[in-house]
Amino acid sequence: MLEVSQVRIAREDWALDYDFQLESGAILTLQGRSGAGKTTLLMLLAGFETPDRGDIRWQGRSLLPLAVAQRPVSMLFQDHNLFEHVSVWRNLGLGMGRQRTAAWEQALRDGAEALGIETLLARMPATLSGGQRQRVALLRTLLRPEPLVLLDEPFAELDPQTHALAGQWVRDTARAAGKTVLLVTHHAQDVALGDRNQVLGD
Amino acid sequence: MHGYRGGTGQIPALAGLTGLVLITGVAFYGLIGFSGQVADPATLRDPYFYGILWFSLKQAALSAGLAVLFGYPVARALYYLPGLWFRRAFLALCLLCFVLPTLVLITGLVLLLGHSGRLSPLLGPDWNLYGLQGILLAHVFLNLPFVVRALYLQLLQIPDTAWRLALLLKLPALTRWQLVEWPMVRGRLLVLAGFVFVLCFNSFAVVLALGGGPQATTLELAIYQALKYDFNLPEALTLAWVQFTIAGTLFALLGRLGGGSWLVLEQGGSQVPVPGRWGGLWHGGVYLLCALFLLLPLLVLLPVLAHIPASLRLLPLLQALWNSLLLALACAVPATLLAWLVLWPQRLAQLQGRHRRRQLLEWLSTHALTAPAMVLSVGWYVFALPRLRLEHWGPVLVVLLNLALTLPFAVQQLRPRLLQFDAQYAPLCAGLKLAWQERLTLEWRWLGGSLRAAFALALLLAMGDVAVFALFGDKDWTTLPWLIYRYASTYRMQEAALASLLLLGVCGLLVWVLDRERAHA
Repeated sequence: MLEVSQVRIAREDWALDYDFQLESGAILTLQGRSGAGKTTLLMLLAGFETPDRGDIRWQGRSLLPLAVAQRPVSMLFQDHNLFEHVSVWRNLGLGMGRQRTAAWEQALRDGAEALGIETLLARMPATLSGGQRQRVALLRTLLRPEPLVLLDEPFAELDPQTHALAGQWVRDTARAAGKTVLLVTHHAQDVALGDRNQVLGD
Repeated sequence: MHGYRGGTGQIPALAGLTGLVLITGVAFYGLIGFSGQVADPATLRDPYFYGILWFSLKQAALSAGLAVLFGYPVARALYYLPGLWFRRAFLALCLLCFVLPTLVLITGLVLLLGHSGRLSPLLGPDWNLYGLQGILLAHVFLNLPFVVRALYLQLLQIPDTAWRLALLLKLPALTRWQLVEWPMVRGRLLVLAGFVFVLCFNSFAVVLALGGGPQATTLELAIYQALKYDFNLPEALTLAWVQFTIAGTLFALLGRLGGGSWLVLEQGGSQVPVPGRWGGLWHGGVYLLCALFLLLPLLVLLPVLAHIPASLRLLPLLQALWNSLLLALACAVPATLLAWLVLWPQRLAQLQGRHRRRQLLEWLSTHALTAPAMVLSVGWYVFALPRLRLEHWGPVLVVLLNLALTLPFAVQQLRPRLLQFDAQYAPLCAGLKLAWQERLTLEWRWLGGSLRAAFALALLLAMGDVAVFALFGDKDWTTLPWLIYRYASTYRMQEAALASLLLLGVCGLLVWVLDRERAHA
């Protein structure tokens, strides 16, 4: 279970408070106006931001003493998800170490096919469109071994048809692997992907 | 963002930084006089001291003024006439001239304007290359290209929207200059003049070759003479302290005003107003004159190839070239690696938002810039004299000191590219939990051209060293610049020209690599 308890982060002219729980294996969609603190919440969970007070626990263990690299988190950022100077295939395998098994490679190829990017694997990121890059990054984020997945506007650059396809793939893959997902979105239709929806800033 | 932690990767980086601080630390240990030799304040009451101090300041101020005065119109010509012939080659020539080993230029100037120089008859019977005029000529040649490049890049920063608005409002040329161009360059002019002043104040080889005597001696040269000819250590120490105080203070002041970027890539300038017919002629003429000024002292070396003296022995030339390359490589390889390494804690501090720590680390990694080569060398000389056999350890000390002196330039080459990497990819690297080998491969592939450019620059600067070698060198193993000096000072100009051509060829090749790699970075 993910527990975000009495967390407050304050800067010079703003402060945000979070307090919620999420069961393991559940998908939470996050909505809210710009500046409501959706991305900040994901950054807190990933360890890029430090709260001023409160605690964040995963399976009963506090994440706060852990560095980014030690947290059980896989995250998709709004931008800069791919290294521009290495190929898509190399990007997909980064940070996998010994877990780069034949089964993982097969899952990667299946996922690429499901997302319609199977022909792009040998290309360099600069030659891809925004939507293609987003799907490549989505594929890597979901297929990493970490149990907690944070997606910051993962469908922002997709056309309606690809959006629906990718949404369904995220839901199915997360369910099959038992991953806990927090998904930030501005689209009302994405609410249906989750088990719960939370509107921040209300 | 504060989620980044250093880990054990910090240890080699901090060890490298400590090593660098030790190099300057030992120099100051020597300068302070812990080795039994102390500075002699009586030197400061000697009229000779005021004479050389005044000359040092005068030649530096005049060189800086002239370089900026002539550099500004050339930068404007490059900016307003984007279709100039050989423009890219000219910019590469500017780069070459700024990093050119000084003694190559000196040989060219002597062949052109010396006692039997090709152009000397045109300058009348009173013309003499040696003294203030020769020093100014050499300093302007070496620094004008730096001013041109830096001002040209500054002009490229003018937003296209400003020109569009000025053209829409049909502003006359003078008003355009007052409103759009001048505000962009005026601050930079002062900073550039300051940098050139410091470079000329610290200049050694030019004054060694073209100056001398009570009328044309600078502090740098006086330190060298006190050590090598008079063996007057207290006087050398006093002069070194004066030199360091003035140069260090000026450099620190200039550092606060912001550095002069001269190695970045061209961009912008697509809406520049096209000059009228007379304006175009003026810019073209200025460009042509500058190209001639820069090319003549180099081209005059070429005819020597047609008249190679029969008595010439190639072996010493090749031996000196080999020594130079070896010393430069021994300095440039660790300088490039160390530059990458010492940037590590700075980048971490930047990511952690610890700006004071970042500034301190930044200063530590480039602090050798504030101490002139001669000052560092004197400190080490005094320190090493009672402890080491200099004829044995000389090459090691030449490498060590050149490493400290070239490292700041390598750091400046790599820093922007690495900061860009962090700005784009630091969260991704942390989020993907990359192994250190994976991270290293990614980062070095990203650095690519910048890394090779930093290496080429360090190699170039180390190849041209004269000041450090002058103290620690040995007549039995000489470098190419020092061999040129020996040939030129004994009036063996044919040999000097041939050696200069050889060094020019190597440097030209390195500049070509540097320019190409920066473009690919």
